[in-house]
Amino acid sequence: MSVAALPSEGAGRAGLRLSLILLLAPALLWLGLLIILPHIQLLALSLKVKLGPRLYETGLTNYTEFFAESIYWSTLIRTAFISIAATALTLLIAFPVAYYIAKMIRGRRKNLLFVLALLPFWVSELIRTLGWIIILRETGLISLGLQWLGLIDQPVELLGNDAAILVGLVYTSMLFMVVPLVTVLDSLDDTLVEAGYDLGGNGFAVLREIIIPHAMPGIVAGCIIVFMLTLGNILTPALLGGKNSLWFTDQIFQKFIVRFNWEQGAAFGFLLLIVSSLVVWIGLKITRQSLASTMT
Amino acid sequence: MSPAPDLDIRGLVKRFGRFTAVEDVTFTVPEGSFFSILGPSGCGKTTLMRMIAGFSRPDSGDILIKGNSTIGLPPNRVAANMVFQHLALFPTMSVAENIGYGLRRRGHSKSEIAERVERMLERVDLAGSGPKQINQLSGGQKQRVAIARCLVLEPALLLLDEPLGALDLKLREQMKVELKQLQAKLGTTFVYITHDQSEALVMSDQVAVMNAGRFEQIGTPQDLYYRPLTAFVAGFVGNSNRWRGTVSAVGAQTRYAAEGGFELIGQAVSGLSVGQPVDLFLRPEAITLSRGTDPEAAAANALVGNVQSLLFDGGNSMAIVAPDRGGGSITVALPQTGDLADLTPGEPVRLSWSAEQVTGFAAASAA
Amino acid sequence: MLTTIPQSRTFKLGYALYVALFFLYLFAPLVVVGIFAFNDSQFPSPPWRGFTLDWFLSSTGRIGIFHDDGLIGSIGTSIKVAVAVTILSLIVGTMNAFLLERAQFRGKSLLFTMMLWPLVIPGVILGVSILQFASTVANGLEDRFGIFIDFLRPGLPLVVFGQFSFIVTIATLVIAARLRKFDMTLEEAARDLGASRLGAIRTVTMPFLTPALIGAGVISFLMSFENFNTTLMLVGSEAPVTIRMFTQIRDGTTPVVNALSLLLMLVMATAGFGLLLANRGGEARRDSG
Repeated sequence: MSVAALPSEGAGRAGLRLSLILLLAPALLWLGLLIILPHIQLLALSLKVKLGPRLYETGLTNYTEFFAESIYWSTLIRTAFISIAATALTLLIAFPVAYYIAKMIRGRRKNLLFVLALLPFWVSELIRTLGWIIILRETGLISLGLQWLGLIDQPVELLGNDAAILVGLVYTSMLFMVVPLVTVLDSLDDTLVEAGYDLGGNGFAVLREIIIPHAMPGIVAGCIIVFMLTLGNILTPALLGGKNSLWFTDQIFQKFIVRFNWEQGAAFGFLLLIVSSLVVWIGLKITRQSLASTMT
Repeated sequence: MSPAPDLDIRGLVKRFGRFTAVEDVTFTVPEGSFFSILGPSGCGKTTLMRMIAGFSRPDSGDILIKGNSTIGLPPNRVAANMVFQHLALFPTMSVAENIGYGLRRRGHSKSEIAERVERMLERVDLAGSGPKQINQLSGGQKQRVAIARCLVLEPALLLLDEPLGALDLKLREQMKVELKQLQAKLGTTFVYITHDQSEALVMSDQVAVMNAGRFEQIGTPQDLYYRPLTAFVAGFVGNSNRWRGTVSAVGAQTRYAAEGGFELIGQAVSGLSVGQPVDLFLRPEAITLSRGTDPEAAAANALVGNVQSLLFDGGNSMAIVAPDRGGGSITVALPQTGDLADLTPGEPVRLSWSAEQVTGFAAASAA
Repeated sequence: MLTTIPQSRTFKLGYALYVALFFLYLFAPLVVVGIFAFNDSQFPSPPWRGFTLDWFLSSTGRIGIFHDDGLIGSIGTSIKVAVAVTILSLIVGTMNAFLLERAQFRGKSLLFTMMLWPLVIPGVILGVSILQFASTVANGLEDRFGIFIDFLRPGLPLVVFGQFSFIVTIATLVIAARLRKFDMTLEEAARDLGASRLGAIRTVTMPFLTPALIGAGVISFLMSFENFNTTLMLVGSEAPVTIRMFTQIRDGTTPVVNALSLLLMLVMATAGFGLLLANRGGEARRDSG
């Protein structure tokens, strides 16, 4: 604790201590009561095994049950797998657009296009998903359009499958991929690309050896965020995947709100938290960054 | 009995851990004068100024402003106001709001504030600029707003922390003159800190040269330039040829053997004994330069040599001369009349200077 | 692949076409939602059965949004929640920013890392952890002392706390970023000119922070208004608009939700552009001269 912390020493040490305590209090209350204690309690709850009404013992049953029941673990694997696919697709679609915004256009048009890319995400995810429902449903735009073109003669239901979930997830994640990519590509010095061509590289070589290595921190950051958000998403799978979307967050919701089996729900929640944190941690390790440096 | 001086500093000491930033500094600044503290960066001058302004507390000693001790007062209660190095004008306020800030803190009425701000703007030649935003002003105008913001509070003294440092050279030269005139017109006591000797010499009534936490010398600019009391002052103020040497004879004149084989003759200095190591100083403009190969017989010091190189810089042009005997080189100012403008490298020249121009100081323990 | 490097016409055209398709994909769902708000049909879906304003105005038979008390009420609920979350987040966020930028204490970097955690915890987990923690505390108090504390049961206060728990992180980051750019000598100058310590913060530092406070406020409000995941776990009988719309869409709805969505989009767009223009106006003023 150093007195140089504040500009003048007029207030003295006691005053300084007091103001530090006053500033510290809301942060500690927030983190303590809303983040740390609830998660400790969640862990404790997940280790409780219900024997009868108001009768519990401590054990790993809630976790062993998860691995014993294939519907549970297969849902988590399925959720993770679709999330990975959604992340990869989002990256593939977003990268060329981000590069176009960052490097291919300049000035007013560039700013306009960037703002335009962010604009849809000011609208709630629910509204955007409603749009996809209207487009994909059996009586929806695509089904109708295909019939009108004569390509199909029966209405086709495009909702309620994994592809629909994927479309919704990719769409809803786009912002979180485009922003870090544009930022990182913007910081790429044009002359590096020019030098790459000047020294005899073709477009592909320049992309592989100059642009992508430079953009790597942005790519990893974008992928972490997108994966984390899709894994934790509950709205899009529920609306586009239909009643049996088999999405892991939905199972947590079912356990907590519908079945009222909180102990099991807590165990599921903790498993999701572990998988999600693991991905973030691995991503940070790969890029040799810290949470603090990626966020600020 | 004479009135209390505007600023009276007595035995001020400030330590940071084991490092002593200000060591036993004592001085007074009489009312209405322009007082500068000149020193290299890290000499403790900023620490000293921050103590006067109330931003930090001395470990011992006393600070009296108009006879009242300010020790323990917070900065908002000290009767000295400060012009910050980067001016610290509030970007969220207009010019008038900046100048009225201190008056608002004192709780003056709106109409009185408006009137005093308007008057202050006129005094610093910014009448009508009140509604402007800070970034609409030029560098010099910002300077004047920063000063006006303090002066409107009618402080006992105004502290200025290298306010010209951030300006470009041309503007700096202009602002030196402007500041000096402003101070003379307003009559407020200015305490000005700077590492730029030219700023201190041009503007000040009195200059204190500070080094490693201590005051080396306090005096008029002329005193410091012509009659330096320490080797540091001689070296820091103005340009000098500088040699290490030893005293070879004392008497009516002092003879020195400088490193490189010169012999220099200076005035009698008390307290020097034969064989003592000394630092020797000789200003480039004190040397007479002429064409020729025979030494000037009449001068106390005379030697011949060749022009090694010429540094043309308008009125500040110099020649570097390599003496025939001994090693090293001597920097000599070229006469401003332009007489020797056609001098070329390699030409033989003769140099001479009087005994008064050579200043010798007992060397601090040889490093 | 730069503006400065010559490319074949086909490549350029193909690239521009791809980007155009991307933007079509981006805006198609929103446009579709808007258009079908005017469809003269019981369902928010094709085929197009003609233009009507029923889903906005009608009060008999079909219930338009302006007469749908349930939906209107849920918007009110969302606004109440969002205002509470915004105020809380701005106050705590500002204090956190001063704590991070001004104070020195042991464990500061750990505290900063902990402040970032809420951003990497899935919203659903934040929701359930707070839900069961609050319930445990409430049950404990009830069993031991017979005290009933309503706000610890699912309902709006818990929704506010749940949303606040991660939105405050974002507010903190936005405000701290601005505070970091603040020149400390401005505060010293204010002190020198006679301001007390708090007076200097109030008159000089806070006006400097205003743009960040506005930005953080808008973001907090929006994030709260649109939050779904955390809210779903904590909501009680009084549902905010996202929850209500979700239930309606899942269970089959009339185009009244399209009408509501269109209105929300218009409000967002107006607010967004207003903010953008205000920002630009401010910058233009600052740039002139």
